[in-house]
Amino acid sequence: MILGIDVGGTHTDVVCISKGEVVSSMKVETAPDIVESITAGVSSMNIDYDGIKRVVLSTTLTTNAIIENRLERAGMFVSAGPGVNPKSYFLNRDFHLIEGAIDHRGRQYIPLDEPGVERAARLLKDSGIDSVGIVSKFSVRNHYHELRIKFMIEGRFKYVTMGHQMSGSLNFPRRIHTVFFNAGVLPVQARFVSSVKKAFAGLGIKSRILFLKADGGTFSSSAAERLPVETIISGPAASIMGAFALRPDEKCAAVLDIGGTTTDIGLLALGLPVFEPKGISIKGLKTLVRGLKTVSVGAGGDSAVIVDKGNIQVGPSRKGPPCCLGGTVPTVMDALRVLGYVKTGSEDKAVKAVSDIASACGMNVEETAKTIIRQMVGIIKNAYTDFLEDVNANPVYTIYEMLHPETVKPEKIILIGGPALALKTFIEEELGIPCVVPENYDVANAIGAAVSKTTARITLLADTQRKQMICPELEAEDIIPPTYMIEDLKSSGERLLKKNAVFLGLADDYGIDVVEEQCFNMVSGFRTVGRNMRLKLQTRPGIIPEFRRKASG
Amino acid sequence: MKTGRIKAKNRTGLIFFPAYDWEISAFHPERKERLLYTHDQVIEEGLLDIEGISEFKAGIATDKDISRVHFCLPDIDSVITDSHRISAGGCIEAARLVLEKKVDRSFALVRPPGHHSMRVVHGCRGFCNINMEAIMVEWIRTNYPHIKKIVIVDTDCHHGDGTQDIFWHDPDILFISVHQDGRTLYPWSGFPEDLGGSGARGMTLNVPLPPGTTDDGFIYVAENLIRPILDEFKPDIVINSAGQDNHYSDPITDMQFTAGGYARLTEIVSPDICVLEGGYSIEMALPYINTGIILSLAGVDYSYLKEPDFRPDRFKQASVEMKYIAGLCDSMLNYWRKRQGIPLKKEGIVERRKTVRYDTDNIVDRQAEFKKMCDCPGVFRIETRASTGNSATCVHIPRGACESCRSQGIEWFDSAEGFDFVQMQDMDKDIFTSRKG
Ligand SMILES: [Zn+2]
Ligand SMILES: [Zn+2]
Ligand SMILES: [Zn+2]
Repeated sequence: MILGIDVGGTHTDVVCISKGEVVSSMKVETAPDIVESITAGVSSMNIDYDGIKRVVLSTTLTTNAIIENRLERAGMFVSAGPGVNPKSYFLNRDFHLIEGAIDHRGRQYIPLDEPGVERAARLLKDSGIDSVGIVSKFSVRNHYHELRIKFMIEGRFKYVTMGHQMSGSLNFPRRIHTVFFNAGVLPVQARFVSSVKKAFAGLGIKSRILFLKADGGTFSSSAAERLPVETIISGPAASIMGAFALRPDEKCAAVLDIGGTTTDIGLLALGLPVFEPKGISIKGLKTLVRGLKTVSVGAGGDSAVIVDKGNIQVGPSRKGPPCCLGGTVPTVMDALRVLGYVKTGSEDKAVKAVSDIASACGMNVEETAKTIIRQMVGIIKNAYTDFLEDVNANPVYTIYEMLHPETVKPEKIILIGGPALALKTFIEEELGIPCVVPENYDVANAIGAAVSKTTARITLLADTQRKQMICPELEAEDIIPPTYMIEDLKSSGERLLKKNAVFLGLADDYGIDVVEEQCFNMVSGFRTVGRNMRLKLQTRPGIIPEFRRKASG
Repeated sequence: MKTGRIKAKNRTGLIFFPAYDWEISAFHPERKERLLYTHDQVIEEGLLDIEGISEFKAGIATDKDISRVHFCLPDIDSVITDSHRISAGGCIEAARLVLEKKVDRSFALVRPPGHHSMRVVHGCRGFCNINMEAIMVEWIRTNYPHIKKIVIVDTDCHHGDGTQDIFWHDPDILFISVHQDGRTLYPWSGFPEDLGGSGARGMTLNVPLPPGTTDDGFIYVAENLIRPILDEFKPDIVINSAGQDNHYSDPITDMQFTAGGYARLTEIVSPDICVLEGGYSIEMALPYINTGIILSLAGVDYSYLKEPDFRPDRFKQASVEMKYIAGLCDSMLNYWRKRQGIPLKKEGIVERRKTVRYDTDNIVDRQAEFKKMCDCPGVFRIETRASTGNSATCVHIPRGACESCRSQGIEWFDSAEGFDFVQMQDMDKDIFTSRKG
């Protein structure tokens, strides 16, 4: 049996899956203490805990810690060298600039200012800081300065995060943000992991615990303790993976997860979830965290409806439950109740709520209810249109791609989330695309968490002139001969993934995809002096084999 | 918590097209990896994440876009590749972004380059096949007729002889080329006395600088010649052919300009649109110069930018050279200010003969140009006979041509004999015709 748990802002969903079927599901209100919500959800299910082989958690813990400024205080060592003024990226007074520079090919050209490291370390220690981040420019080409700083401060801080471990991708400011967030949530996540383990042990669940990442893959709790920043924005990833699991045969489809407050939009193209190419953003800061491409818009079933100067306004916020369920502010749900698209709650209360709106703008009740829903769907449509435009706007760098443009055009929309079924006809009409609402649509996100495969991604760089191959994420380095080719780099990568599977939190059944591959001849004085090769490998994101669905409807 | 974000003062659009699958040949300076390290640096510096700096897709230049500028022989597809269309198309997109006011400024970081391409094209010369800036200028004038006065400042180390050739007779396009003295470097041209055709005298300005010119010399020219001219001319648009081969580490030239100097130059010239031209120090210069140009265009602090081997005391301009440069600026400014005082021939045909050498493709072309002197910009035709065996008569009826020039042009087109091809550009009608001779 597999347990999938999605802790959302309003509800915590739990599903139990056995032999490819959802055997039990549960929705409870999210309590202020996340662990409490999880135990409440799990313990109210009538299942045999002994049979649980896998538990996957998707929570808002790290996301909210960042958004609500509940990060642990973190100190930062930043080594930049010439370029954009690095101090423009400092987020607070715990950032320290360290002299030193590495160039785009990984050559050191300003040595590290070791006394500077020492001074900064002392200042940070004296101010009681426990978690530090280390970032240097081009550290993914040569991590020597980051390692050297770590070595120098070894043992003095409880938590250390280094830039090159976060991602093999270039982008110094994003590396700073990513490390800063990781350093800030590390202690929070560590405490969370230990109390979840304790709670599950208390329930008698002995299985291993996995965490959902922003990229729709999962990793082990030890990896989650090391790289908690990868769990930010895992909620929308759970939705998209859920839709993917429930409709595995869709080649090109958009996913709309309509919740109480927001609707998350995502995409499946060429039969796989679509990624944010450079990394996801949180709190207005861009990171290198690999994540599914999603956007959230403030329109959901509980979106508040008000009348402003005779005009109906839907959302963007939620002001409590719908009137039909005892709330005080009219909502989209009330409009759906009036028209009979949902049957929960009191019809009288819904009619009363929509009548108030109707009289304020001089329309009849039915017309008003339809207007409310159309407006809500209109907001989703605008966000969806912008989202697609953004997906298709990515520049390309080769003639081949330029002459063979690939435009993503979804043929279908997979609708999930509580109000999905009720809104189906409205969305079909407004967006002009056929919609499908899969079975278990209301707990699709928990299913997504439960059945997502473990994933990892590594970057490999080879420079035959410098006789060097490196993999920044795994801190691996090798000396290579001049005859080293891109195929050799691929096998090195596969070997490294296999060797580090446990460290990366990978399960046994991973396929490897090449996501980026470049090979350039380096020329000097009209002769080739070497090859510069770049490779990104990832284990294929997807659904575990225990949960394979046949196409339906 | 601070925002951790830098904001650009000027909204800046970047068209980045490194053409990773195109090269002249494997060992040629114009090869696949040319913009690789620049790309690395731009991404690592996070320039594309700066608020106000955005990246846009390149476009593909059409036959018509190219025909507005060039007579391609025997035809367009025989002298260019898809990469050239995208490079020129990238420039058109850069112009579109500015003219549609999506951004304040733009930079087409594209390859292959184009400023050595002349009006008649038989092949590749100076790594260039078609002239991106000229194609962009004609696209602008066709689609935005209210834009009349355009300046092209060519800061590539080589004389922009192609651009000069194309706009030689054009009274509305001011072409200023700053380059290493043509007595010491390809294409062996671009001297102060070359001031443009007699109907556009003073609209071509060449500023040959001595080999070894440093930041001091370049900045002097920018502040004391280019800036005052721009202030007086008040152009609708300023384009910078931002070649980067003046850098001290460039392998094929002899100047001593720095990345910081390029950024400062960009700040002084304040172009609306920058176009990458040459620059072959692909590891030690291009990553830093392009970062500098982007920061400068966007109005972001570039004072921390320098090359790994930069030392502030390394290059000093000798005072004798500074004196020479100051004198040159004075006399060029003089030419410019007196340009309208030069008496013009108002009738007859003026003939000009020249030999155009294609170093890259090893072609020699002998041309004769016949220009009708008139109150209007004046029709002209070029008779070209290249060592490829192709010959042609090429008629150019300029924007604002009078009726008499138009009928003269048509008469030339209809009556030309003894050539393989006859081609005509009718700029006002935006019609381009070609026939076998
Ligand atoms: Zn020049
Ligand atoms: Zn050049
Ligand atoms: Zn005339």
